[in-house]
Amino acid sequence: MAALRSSSAAARALAASSRPAIRRPASSVRGMAQLADAAQQSQHAAGENAKMKTFQIYRWNPDTPTEKPKMQSYTLDLNKTGPMVLDALIRIKNELDPTLTFRRSCREGICGSCAMNINGTNTLACLCRIPAEDSKETKIYPLPHTYVVKDLVPDLTLFYKQYKSIKPYLQRDTPAEDGKEYRQTKADRKKLDGLYECILCACCSTSCPSYWWNSEEYLGPAILLQSYRWLADSRDEKKAERMDALNNSMSLYRCHTILNCTRTCPKGLNPGLAIAKIKKEMAF
Amino acid sequence: MADISDAVIGPLVFPIAEGPSDQAQGSSATIFVHVPVTARSTNDAADDDEEAALESNPQLIAADSTTITMASIARSVLPTQATAASRLSAVAARPIVNNAVRTTAFHTTSRRDLLPPLPQRVDGTVNDPAPIPPTSPSHGSYHWTFDRLLAGALVPLTVAPFAAGSLNPTMDAVLCAAILIHSHTGFQNIIIDYVPQKRMPRTRKAFMWGLNAATAVVGLALYEFETTDVGLTETVKRIWTA
Repeated sequence: MAALRSSSAAARALAASSRPAIRRPASSVRGMAQLADAAQQSQHAAGENAKMKTFQIYRWNPDTPTEKPKMQSYTLDLNKTGPMVLDALIRIKNELDPTLTFRRSCREGICGSCAMNINGTNTLACLCRIPAEDSKETKIYPLPHTYVVKDLVPDLTLFYKQYKSIKPYLQRDTPAEDGKEYRQTKADRKKLDGLYECILCACCSTSCPSYWWNSEEYLGPAILLQSYRWLADSRDEKKAERMDALNNSMSLYRCHTILNCTRTCPKGLNPGLAIAKIKKEMAF
Repeated sequence: MADISDAVIGPLVFPIAEGPSDQAQGSSATIFVHVPVTARSTNDAADDDEEAALESNPQLIAADSTTITMASIARSVLPTQATAASRLSAVAARPIVNNAVRTTAFHTTSRRDLLPPLPQRVDGTVNDPAPIPPTSPSHGSYHWTFDRLLAGALVPLTVAPFAAGSLNPTMDAVLCAAILIHSHTGFQNIIIDYVPQKRMPRTRKAFMWGLNAATAVVGLALYEFETTDVGLTETVKRIWTA
């Protein structure tokens, strides 16, 4: 944030020096009144070296529910923007349009808040570089086939409810042998690699056609990956119960190995493989 | 009036590359998709808006509830076309409605919404886990395993008669039965995917019974073909060398 602020201040200074007619008191704070200025600046500062890039962003406001969702264009100079799409979004929100709404938190791909559909691919805005080479505009939508709360904010209530339904915690009846902690071998621990890293950003689930059609009953790749994370855990003692919960026509077996989940995962995990392993374990 | 589950209603985002906004050029399909979600929800603002639109359009007040779609078309047209200007009179509103309908009919092929997105519904509170369906291996793991075994078995069954060079009626019958059951479970999967039990239970039932009937007819036909005619493998062979 600090870097962005200072860079925008620099941009303002640049713009002011090139237009000496417009003078602003030095103590001015950025507010709504300056928005038009900021927009002008971003247009004006487009010198010969400017790399202008247009972002088309999905807008829908719950306060005016009868208005249709629309795409709104914002143009930024990439030389003054960070490399990632999230940097551009934050800059748009700071300088061009404070009404733009999106979730973000860690800006380093560990919280999963900024999952959205960028140029047709579900990914984390903070891990997605702005495609600077092509001059085409970047289109940003919320996660597909979700209910939209506002702009780029999808409603993930059902997703979290489904996560809760698989009991994502260690279930044991027997106490540890030494009364201290539940130990496992290095080999057993290794089985959890590629599973525990999931940050539940919902990119994979919302890219899955099966989940689009049957999200009420099918659990979706993200939740099934987590389900397998607990099935594969050597310390868990409720494996049979966990499997029984999946053993019906909808929860697990709506997966048709489309593998959109694996292709889209911004963390490079493989939910498709995890689901296949669940199916294999339950097969005989 | 508006409980918490209905308060956060957004339009569904469609997995179309162009997105819903690109359909905004006067397509009645999008009007039908988006407007009912908001207009018929228990959203006070939407209701107020509808009433305001009705007040300005005496003709629409006269309309009964069956023409609610007309009203919603008019309403979705009104804010865009007549925000700055004063409200449209009833005389002016009518041609717009007609034009909108006619233009869309001209520009786009009719698109029936088979399963329009419902308003969002949260069962229980947001902190309750999603319900776990009852365990049923015959619809789950056994079904899946049987499907795979059958699909795997079809490969040698198909190749065997040609590889062996002899046509055994028993093998032919087994092949026919395997194909029949394989198709049946395959179509079952399609119906389960696209005719959701939750939203349309009766249609689901109808489709399933339709599939059963079709399988029975095909089974009977294959039986007749096997017993009174040359059989499946021989037919393929003859067509191949014809």
